[in-house]
Amino acid sequence: MLKKLEGSLVALLFAGTAIIGAWWGAHAWLPSLASRHGAGIDAMLKYLLLTTGVLFVTGYVVLAYFIWKGSRRDAIGKRFASRRTERLLAAGLGLTMAAVAEGGVLAIGMPVWSEYFDAAPTADAIEIEVTAQQFMWNVRYPGPDGVFGRTNPTLVDDTANPLGLDRSDPHGKDDVIALNDITVPFGRAVHVRLHSKDVIHSFFLPNFRVKQDAVPGMTPEVIFFPTQTGHFELACAELCGLAHYRMRGTFNVVSQKEFDEWLKKQQ
Amino acid sequence: MEPPRPPAPPPPPAPHHDTRGFVRRYIFSTDHKVIGIQYIVTGLLMAIVGAALASLIRLQLGFPDQQWPLLSKLLPAGYQGGVMLPEFYLAVVTMHGTIMVFFFISYVLVSGFGNYLVPLQVGANDMAFPFLNMLSYWIAFLSAAVLIFSFFVTGGAAAAGWTAYPPLSALAAAVPGSQMGQTLWLLSMALFIASFTMSGLNIVATVLSVRAPGLSMMRLPLTVWSYFVSSILGLLAFPPLTAAAVMLLLDRHFGTSFFLPSGLIVANKLVPATGGSPLLWQHLFWFLGHPEVYVLQLPALGIACDIMPAFTRKPVFGYRASVYCLMAVGCLSMIVWGHHMFVSGMSPFSGEYFSLATMTITVPMTIFGVNMLASLWGAKLDLKSPMLFVCGVIALFGSGGLGGLFLGNATADMQLHDTYFVVGHFHMMIGGVTLLSTFAAIYFWFPKMFGRSMNETLAKAHFWLTFAPFFTIFFMQHFLGLQGAPRRYYAFTAYDYLRHTRGQNLVISLAAFLLVSSQFLFLINFVWSLVKGKVAASNPWRATTLEWTLPSPPPHGNFGTAPVVERWAYEYGVPAPEGDFATQTVPSAAVPVTA
Amino acid sequence: MNARALLVETPTVRDDQLKLGLWMFLATVTMLFAAFTSAYVVRRSGSDWHPVALPSILWINSGVLGVSSIAVEFAHARGARGRWKASAIAILTALVLGVAFLGGQLLAWRQMAAAGVYLPTNPHSAFFFMMTGAHAVHVVAALVVLAWGAVVTVRAAREPRGWAARMGLCRTFWHYLGAMWVFLFALVSLY
Repeated sequence: MLKKLEGSLVALLFAGTAIIGAWWGAHAWLPSLASRHGAGIDAMLKYLLLTTGVLFVTGYVVLAYFIWKGSRRDAIGKRFASRRTERLLAAGLGLTMAAVAEGGVLAIGMPVWSEYFDAAPTADAIEIEVTAQQFMWNVRYPGPDGVFGRTNPTLVDDTANPLGLDRSDPHGKDDVIALNDITVPFGRAVHVRLHSKDVIHSFFLPNFRVKQDAVPGMTPEVIFFPTQTGHFELACAELCGLAHYRMRGTFNVVSQKEFDEWLKKQQ
Repeated sequence: MEPPRPPAPPPPPAPHHDTRGFVRRYIFSTDHKVIGIQYIVTGLLMAIVGAALASLIRLQLGFPDQQWPLLSKLLPAGYQGGVMLPEFYLAVVTMHGTIMVFFFISYVLVSGFGNYLVPLQVGANDMAFPFLNMLSYWIAFLSAAVLIFSFFVTGGAAAAGWTAYPPLSALAAAVPGSQMGQTLWLLSMALFIASFTMSGLNIVATVLSVRAPGLSMMRLPLTVWSYFVSSILGLLAFPPLTAAAVMLLLDRHFGTSFFLPSGLIVANKLVPATGGSPLLWQHLFWFLGHPEVYVLQLPALGIACDIMPAFTRKPVFGYRASVYCLMAVGCLSMIVWGHHMFVSGMSPFSGEYFSLATMTITVPMTIFGVNMLASLWGAKLDLKSPMLFVCGVIALFGSGGLGGLFLGNATADMQLHDTYFVVGHFHMMIGGVTLLSTFAAIYFWFPKMFGRSMNETLAKAHFWLTFAPFFTIFFMQHFLGLQGAPRRYYAFTAYDYLRHTRGQNLVISLAAFLLVSSQFLFLINFVWSLVKGKVAASNPWRATTLEWTLPSPPPHGNFGTAPVVERWAYEYGVPAPEGDFATQTVPSAAVPVTA
Repeated sequence: MNARALLVETPTVRDDQLKLGLWMFLATVTMLFAAFTSAYVVRRSGSDWHPVALPSILWINSGVLGVSSIAVEFAHARGARGRWKASAIAILTALVLGVAFLGGQLLAWRQMAAAGVYLPTNPHSAFFFMMTGAHAVHVVAALVVLAWGAVVTVRAAREPRGWAARMGLCRTFWHYLGAMWVFLFALVSLY
């Protein structure tokens, strides 16, 4: 009697966990979406949430059932499943999992991944250079000549010349510098070149589904297309030291007119 | 028709007069059972440290605006004015991870139970290399001591995460923990790897060369198979971390540039390094790092599979398939490390390859998980405490494993990398599956190890008060990650988009305090039962593997003459003189062999 | 015990265990140097790769190591015929040559330092010192094993049983490190 009660309680624990877990998981958790390729990432996430959600609930309910049933038995059922059952179960579930995992990844994920990385910057993409350092984001626009001026690490001075700009380079004269603030005009692709001055940081725009490590010694690039105007946040997503948790930037998508005004103000 | 009378059991091995003194018997012992217990005790002590560190983390994240004057008094180096210092937070995070992975789970589950169980379950009197075994423990002890000592050096313990990515971990000025703390961390890891190598060599050599007569590989319990695969995996996977650690030490102290590129500016000064690659560290680290999680997981799963039949009274489902899955996972785990590096700056093509490869691991792991679940089918279930924890293992393996689908493919990982989704996932797998399996193992084998039983009521309470908060914490963290909460953040207060996670973090912290408190039930039970527990018989669980044919605890020298094995390890549910099971040494004439 | 019998002596379980243990240990050592090698290959493609000139004494050291391997083989061949004295001399020669190899490596390091080439000078030198250092550490371990082999050989006149298996361990470990040296030397000089 006590054994049956205990079995029921344990079964309830797992079944209850599944139901409460599924209820909790069925909310909308993702930050609002503001980029084109991000729709593909969200599709992948939603596909996985749905399929894993179903598998999660099914698995836990089956577990609960076995526990409930097993605690009520006086003798074991069939001792050995037939070889055929064993193989069927293994093959069947193995293949199902492969279909869900590989199938989902191939069908949904690969195109998104390739689109994201194979995308070449469009002619009118806004070019930005972001140089991460402990604990801020240095932002640079190439200015009307469209070319970034030369930089040299030996010229860096954190107060006077954080980017190490080579003042003798004519291309650098019209460069626009900003700190922790990136503004782009709506309707154009954004092409970011990432640098880091000291340790690994990571350029994370939660609303745009963009994340790319800024690795010193490399220049990883990110290209994406904003689909919403507004003011969004930039977070660092790779441990970079004491103030990693407040290495905040803002990312603003505004009209072309507002952007031109903003740019002029920075110069 | 009555089952045939069994022949008279062989006389128990003549107790050989143990002439060793206290030091040779309990301190510098070469007896695998003593060494196993030494590892377990050391690991449990380190777990207490690790849990304390976790409590400090959750105190900070759950109550970001509070002050704790008491902590300022107790830990003046870490708290100022009652507020936790960010440098201390990062050291705590780093050391919590390092201690729990390497010094708790690896010591207790892999080296501790591995050393204790493997010789017994293969019918051997000791490991193949007992002296090397003793050496491995004392080097392990030294490794732990070095790591704990690192808390007290200038700059404090390492603070670059358990992953220690350079340049953060290479440059002393980048974060205080990268002063001597990081060097001691690297030395501790080098000692750990040396110790693990010795242990691993022992386990593989023992399984291959000292099995009792009649004990073919396919008659071995899944526990032994899992330690076998796990040890081979560890032997092959650890050396690249050794190489990386050597290179990082050289970068830190001898001016080389393995991982340091040119043009680094730290503390407004140009670092003289040139040409190195931070990505090189990541490749070498994760080449070990990914197989390492399977080194920990496989024994947890194997143990769960072997504890189960004693409480379901029928064989495990799909034994052969499970063996093949263990081997498949071992092999596959060595070619998927790049899924930790999707956004690292490595080539997108590599990202596609690693996604596909990682997804293939789901197949053997699914089959294994289904086999575990199906082993409950038709069971006559006895929900003793080890079985409760095994149910927890099956549950967390399933839910945690499903989270792996998100992280293993590059597309979804772009949003989830370095967020709390990762934290939730790995805690469910390493903190959940391995932790619950460790508890199951302790409750199950305590009678054998110490000749006394643990208190069953406390054990069951321990299960309930562990599973519920554990699931709450780490399930919720998956969703924190979906909301975009990055990991290793001292606080979430700087961001508008994370403002609403305050309530969730509070709930998680409260659940964490409950979880930590519940472990006292276990500790008290463990210590009390050592002294006052009910005396245990040699086979209280009516289980079939070889260790249960010996007295509790087994004598020094185990079997004396090797036992003769005539059957596999899962002869449950058969009519036999001992009841409904036959231990592996019961002759085939007495009870028919079914597999 | 005649030569044939010695060579085909049935290995004990202990012999098998030691052999297994050694091969697994060598597998881990291989992985260590594989890791160093892959790091080397990756780094070599960098723009700051300027290989340094390596001192010619390294060729002499290689020769010494090669002769020591021959000496170990000689020790094995002689012992198999029961010529214990010759075998003992041969293995002691190998031991001395092994120590000479380490001495020569130290000399090579000093010659490079004298030429102004140190560990941090450039990536090529860094890998050179690191990998030769790691190799040397393992040679020290192998010398301990060889010394053990020498003791076993000296005792073999009275107790020949088990000698063949133990000599096998010495040979394996020593030749492995010799082969590893050939590989490392080729890597740092040619690639």
